[in-house]
This record gives sequence, structure tokens and C-alpha cells, in this order.
Amino acid sequence: MEFKQVVGTRRTIRFFDPNRPVEEEKIQVMLEAANRASRAVNADFAKAIVCYRDELSDEVREQMKTPTTTVQIDLAPVTIFWYGDTSFVSGAQGRLKELVDLGALPVTHGWTHAYVDDLVYPQVLEPMSKDQIATVWAVSVETGLAIAQAMLAGVDEGLGVGLHAFNAAGVKDVLKVPDHWVPMWILLVGYPAEDAKGGGQRPRRALSDSFYRGQYGNPWTEIPEVTERLKREGMIQEPMPTDATQRMTEIRQLADRFGLPL
Amino acid sequence: MRTHDIESHASVKQWAAGAGLHHDPTEVREQKLRILADFCAKVEKEPDTLVAFCILRKKETGERFLSVKRRETINGWLEEFAAEQGWAGKQAVVNANVVRSFLIHNGVLIQGPVWRG
Repeated sequence: MEFKQVVGTRRTIRFFDPNRPVEEEKIQVMLEAANRASRAVNADFAKAIVCYRDELSDEVREQMKTPTTTVQIDLAPVTIFWYGDTSFVSGAQGRLKELVDLGALPVTHGWTHAYVDDLVYPQVLEPMSKDQIATVWAVSVETGLAIAQAMLAGVDEGLGVGLHAFNAAGVKDVLKVPDHWVPMWILLVGYPAEDAKGGGQRPRRALSDSFYRGQYGNPWTEIPEVTERLKREGMIQEPMPTDATQRMTEIRQLADRFGLPL
Repeated sequence: MRTHDIESHASVKQWAAGAGLHHDPTEVREQKLRILADFCAKVEKEPDTLVAFCILRKKETGERFLSVKRRETINGWLEEFAAEQGWAGKQAVVNANVVRSFLIHNGVLIQGPVWRG
């Protein structure tokens, strides 16, 4: 699938085909996409534990549920538990100097071993690692980037994906999660039982509502030709119709199949 | 509690309107009302009280919130109820979800088991 089509096709899938197996090869593609994500100090912020539903006991699956994340967990064949590693500063000096040696952090931009040892590490990274708010902020942003890439890779592989909250305390011991990992989200993965396009793109506000040129208050002005091109190339797709009759019929069929409340 | 008694409760009226119970064939509608009535009898709560049971207020602000523990309690009761009724398989899932549907249409987000058979 073309990149723009992948971005445009991603939906939060809430009805997975529970009995259609997900190939481990496709999960690996998702993990590699996460591993290729942009990251500060070349640290491995994002950590993930992949669990196939039927390899987890009923008890464990019950423990990971929240009142709002139950049906999806029972339907999705795969759950990827995402965590952020707060020990990202560990080894940062060595990784940065490696990037200096490789020319990824070039001297033209002021990077040297001395800069890493004398300034970046002692004056930026070490204090940051002791600041809990700054640490959680950095870990959350960086892990989010990796998760986003994994999600898009999943869509590219023809899978459905959905990010949700989970009861992190309930599964910490079972998954043997280290204390320095901060729980982020679970990414549920499977083949959609619903229309993969979920009835259309979810409503989004205009770019001008969120994006600005030069300063806040000066909204980005859309270039109509670009918008039209993105429609042709699949990033902008048909929105969910205001008349939801078709979608409601689909939901009724899915509810009947899975015994869900209406 | 008889099924026509239960229909007089505000929460049941809200459920009927939201879930479109009037579109169901009479026997289906009666069965759903019977399930709710029997569940209410089991837990000794009127329908409106059952909804209120899931919604607590913060001591400090009086703000309403959905109680996780209360919803877990409801799910536990539903599991017991299904076993007592002798329901199994998809029937157990579907019938317990009649009660969840009632709660959902009264603003209580509650989820239960899924039939994957």
C-alpha cells in the first residue's frame, strides 16, 4: 500500500475476527517499524511485549481489562503491550558518541565527543533523568512515535489495529515488567471483522483549527490542489456518512455474531 | 417483578427508547424485560436503583463518576445469574448482555464476555 493510503486507511478497529490467526511475520514487521522510529539520544524508549490471546490464561486476560476495554481484548488475536523505558539515559553517552563517529551527529553542527561528555550528558541528560515529569514526558513522546509507526505498518500488512488503555497493575507481575518501564497503551491487532475502513474516515476538523503559520492565531491556509491530490492518493478518504444507517446495520450484524449488547 | 411493572421505571423507559425495544417482536421484547426483571429480583434492586448503584459521587466535589468496582460487581452478579438460569454458550453471553444493554442505555459503560464460537 502506498504511504498516504496507509495513513488514510488506518482506523481504530473495535471488531476483530477472533478466530483468524495473525501471522508472526506481520507482527515482526510492526515491531521493526517501531524500531526504526525517530528517537532522541538513539535510545530504545519503546518496549513491547507481544501476547497472542489464546496463549494467555483467562485469568490474565481478565486482569488486563478495564471497564472500557473488554470486548476488544476478547476479540483481538494479538495484544502488544507498550511501555516506555525510563532508563533511557543509561548508555546515552556511548550511543551519542557512536553517532558522532558515524557522522550522523556531524561536527558541522557542533557535535564532538567532548560536547557529549562535558555538556550534553552532565548538563542535559543526567538532570533530565532525575526530573520525573521531564522523564515521563520524553518517554511518552518517544514511545508514541514508535507505536504510531507500528500501527501504520500493521495497516500496511492488511491488519486492523486499535490503541487502548489497560490495567497495567493487573498484568505487571504476569508479564514480568521491570519497574523502570512506564505503561503506555495496548495495541490490539487482528484482521477486522468489521469493514476495514470502519464505514469511512472519522470526522476531523479543518487544518486551520489546529495548525498555524508563523504564530498562533494565524491559521494554516489549505492549498486546494494539495487537498484534492490527497483525496486522489488516499490520505483523505470518504468520511463516515451523516446517515449512519449502513454502519448501524453492520454493528447490528456484528452484535448478533458476537452476542454483544445493542 | 412482572414485566409490565418494570416498564414504568424511568431507566427502563430510557432503555426501551434507546435500544428501540418497540421494534422488537413482542416475544423478544417480553423476554428482554423478563431477563431484566429476574436479574433485578436476584440482586434485590429496582432498575433505577441498579443504575444508581453504578454511579457514585466524589466526596469532595459531589461530581458523579462510574465506579469500576461496582461494574465489576455487576459482572460478577451476571455471571452468577447466568449460571443460576442454566444458560450456557452463546445464550449466556447474549442474555447477560440484555442487562448490560439496559445499563449502557442509562449511561453506564459496561462490557462483558464475547461469543467467539
